[in-house]
Amino acid sequence: MDRKNIFRALLPIVGLCAIFVIFNIFTNWRMISNLPLVLSQAYVVMISATGVFFVMTMGGLDFSQGSILGLASIVVCVLSKYNIMIAILGGILTGAVIGGINGYFYVNRKIQSFIVTICTMFLLRGVIKYLTTNAPVAGAASLVSFDTIGLKIGITVLVVVTAFVVFRFTKFGRYLKAIGAGEKAAMFAGVRTDKMKFLVYILAGAMTGFAAFINVIKVGSVTSSGGSQLETQILIALVLGGMPISGGAKVRFENIIVGSLLYIVLNSGLTMMGFSTQMMQLIQGVIFLIFVAVFADRKSIQVIK
Amino acid sequence: MGEVRLKIEHLCKTFGITKAVADVSFSIKKGEVHALIGENGSGKSTLTNMLTGIYTIDSGKFILDGREVHPKNQVEANKEGISIIVQELGTLSGLTVAENIFLGHEDKFTKFGIKNTNLMNKMATELLKKYGFDRIKAGEIIDRYNFEDRKLIEIVKATYFEPKIVVIDETTTALSNEGRHELYKHMERIKKAGNTVIFISHDLPEILEKSDTVTVLRDGVYIDTVSSKDIDEEGLRKLMVGRELEGDYYRKQFGESVKDEVVLSVKNVSVPGLLEDVSFDLHKGEILGFGGLSESGMHEIGKAIFGASYDRSGEVITSDGTHINDIPTAIAHSIAYTSKDRDNESVVMNESIGDNICLPSLDKLKLKWKFLSDRAMNNFANEYAKKMSVKMVNIDQFVSDLSGGNKQKVVLARWIGKDSDIVVLDSPTRGIDIKVKQDIYNLMNGMIKSGKSIIMISEELMELIGMCDRIIIMKDGKISGEIDRSVEIGENTLISMMV
Repeated sequence: MDRKNIFRALLPIVGLCAIFVIFNIFTNWRMISNLPLVLSQAYVVMISATGVFFVMTMGGLDFSQGSILGLASIVVCVLSKYNIMIAILGGILTGAVIGGINGYFYVNRKIQSFIVTICTMFLLRGVIKYLTTNAPVAGAASLVSFDTIGLKIGITVLVVVTAFVVFRFTKFGRYLKAIGAGEKAAMFAGVRTDKMKFLVYILAGAMTGFAAFINVIKVGSVTSSGGSQLETQILIALVLGGMPISGGAKVRFENIIVGSLLYIVLNSGLTMMGFSTQMMQLIQGVIFLIFVAVFADRKSIQVIK
Repeated sequence: MGEVRLKIEHLCKTFGITKAVADVSFSIKKGEVHALIGENGSGKSTLTNMLTGIYTIDSGKFILDGREVHPKNQVEANKEGISIIVQELGTLSGLTVAENIFLGHEDKFTKFGIKNTNLMNKMATELLKKYGFDRIKAGEIIDRYNFEDRKLIEIVKATYFEPKIVVIDETTTALSNEGRHELYKHMERIKKAGNTVIFISHDLPEILEKSDTVTVLRDGVYIDTVSSKDIDEEGLRKLMVGRELEGDYYRKQFGESVKDEVVLSVKNVSVPGLLEDVSFDLHKGEILGFGGLSESGMHEIGKAIFGASYDRSGEVITSDGTHINDIPTAIAHSIAYTSKDRDNESVVMNESIGDNICLPSLDKLKLKWKFLSDRAMNNFANEYAKKMSVKMVNIDQFVSDLSGGNKQKVVLARWIGKDSDIVVLDSPTRGIDIKVKQDIYNLMNGMIKSGKSIIMISEELMELIGMCDRIIIMKDGKISGEIDRSVEIGENTLISMMV
C-alpha cells in the first residue's frame, strides 16, 4: 500500500477516535456516561447499512431504505397484536417485497437503481402518510418490553457478524465485488449478474424490514415520519466509513461499522453541544463532502448503476 | 527527401519507479514511413503520446523542423502539425461524424459563438468523398457506424489537414484486410506529399512491407534504427527481444491426424444479424480456427458457444449431451472463453489479479464448512499467475495497471486454473508482443497435447495457418469454407474465401 492508501484506510478509524475524544472533552464526558443512549441510534442504521453496503458493493444505490423502514414498522406494529414472531417475519417480508420491486425495475426493466429507489421512496412515503393520517399506528403494549440494551446489541452483532462471514468467506461476497468492479467481465467469468443484483435488493430490503422491529420497540408506535431520512443517514455513514460510492474491489466490511459509529457519534455530539438542527446539517454536509472527495474512486466507472 | 523532420533528443519519462522512456534520441526524416517497434512496455506508445500531448515530457526535447515543440494536448499538437490515430476507439460517441472529424477545430465554423452545422457537414462530406468513404454520412451520429468505419473516420480526422507527422498506433490489428488497405493507401499518400508517418505495429511482415525505416526500442531504451530493406523478420525479432527466440514459434508438426471423438457439437446456430445457420463439430485435442473479416460473424461464434449470445437459436451440445445456453452452464461443463474485448469482457478491470484468477474456481477453494479460504485462494492465484509468468508486483495488484499482454495472461491463468477442456480464444494475441505471443502458442500446444480442445478465432491469417488443425472461414454470418492443416495453405487461399 502506498501512502495515499494507508491514509484512506486509517482516516475513518482515526476520525472516529478523534471526534469521540473531542466531543467528550467539549461535553464534560457526558457522551461516555450516556453511551447507551448514543448507541441506541446506531442499531437501526447499522443493520440497514449492512444491506445497503451489499447493494453499493456491486455499484448500485438504494434510497428507499427510509420508506421501507417506515412501512415495515407499521406492519410490525399491526402484527404485534397477534404474535411477536409473526410481527418480525412480517417486517422482514415487507422489506423483501419492496426490495423485490426495486430489483425488478432495476434488473428486468433496466432502469438505473437510484432512479428506481427514489421512486419507491416517494411512493411508499405516500403510503405511510396515508396509513398514519388519523393517528400514529400503535403496536401491542408488550412491544416496548423488548427494548433492552442486551437484545438490541445481540441482534445487531448477530446480523453484522453473519453478514461479515457471508461477505468475506462465501462466493456471494466475491461475486458482489466482481460485479462492482466490472459487471460484464464478471458475467463472462460465470457470475449470474442479474440474479445476484435482484437478490441483493431483496436482501437489503429484508434487512431493513428486520431493523423495523428494533425501530418500533423504542416507542411502540409509528408516525408519518417513521424512518424518514434513514437512506441519507446510511449513505453518509457508509461514506464516512470510507466506502467508495462506485463500489467494487476497494470496499471493506469495516466501512459499515466504523461509518455507522462515526455518524452516530458526530450526530449526538453535535446535539449534546447544543447546535441547532440547521447548524448540524450544515456541519454534516461539509464533512460528508470532504469524505466523498477523499474516498471517491475516480478510476472506476463514472456512472452509478 | 532525406531531410530531417523530427529530432528526438534525450527524451525521458518515468511512471513511479518504471522508466518508460529512458534517454531516447533519434531522428525521423521527411517523406518516410518510420516504424517504431518493440515488445509491450518498450515505450513506443509512451513516446508518441508525449509527442501528441497526451503525456507530459519529463525531460528531453522534440525538435520539429528545427523548432522545439511541446504540445500540452492533442489540439495543440494538431496545430503544430502532429496527429495520431490511436489503438482503441478514438472517436467520441454521441457526436456526429462531422463533429468528430473537426473536434477541437470548431472555431473554423463558429461565428459570434454560433456553430454553422451546415457548413461543417458540407466540408466533412467533401472530405469523406475525397477519401472515398462516400457511404459514411457526415451528419449521422457516429454510433451508427461499426468499429471499422469509425476507424476510417479517424483516418480522415487525423490526416485531412495535411499534418507534418501522423502517428498510427497499433491501428491495423483492429482492422479487417479491407480497412488495412484503406489505411496503407493513405500512408502512401501522406508519404508522397513529403510528410511523415510514425507507424507502430506488432505485425513484422506488415512493418517490413510498409515502412522505410524501423526504430527498435526495448524496455524504454533506444536500440537501433535500420532500413527496412536491409533486415528481415528474424533480425527484427532479435533486436526486439535482445536474444534469439528459443524453440518454435508456431506449431511445427503437420500431418497429425485429429481424433474422431467429438467434444462439442454446434448445430444450426443463428444469432439475428450476426450468424446464420452455423454447424460444426469440435474434436478432442484439435485446434479449430475461425477466420474471416471482422464483421463476418466469427467473433459471435465464441459467444454463441459460451452461452453469451443475445437471442441465439440452435443447439450447442457437449459430449455428455448437455445443452449450453448460458455462461454458468458453459463454465460448469468445462468451457472457457476469452473475449476479443479484453478490458470489458475478459478481465474484471478494477479488481486484483488474484481475485480475477480465482473468480470462476471459487467452488474449488472452500474449506470444510463451505467457507472460502484466503490461503487456498492466494496459493491458487500465485500458482497460476506464476505458471503464466504474469509480470506483476504481487497478486494484489489491480488488473487495470497491467499491459495488454499481461491482462491476457491473467485471463489465461484463470482458465488454466479452472482446467477447462474446451477453450475458446477470441483474438488471443491481439495487440500482444512477440514474446507473449510465443508463450501463448506454446501454451496452446501444451493444452492440445494434454487432450484439451481449442477454438481459436483470429483476424491474423498467419496465426491461423500456423496453429490450427482445421480452419473454418466465415463470410456474412455463414461458413464459406473449411481447410485442413497443410504446409501448402497460403494467406491468399483463405482471403479468396473471405471476400
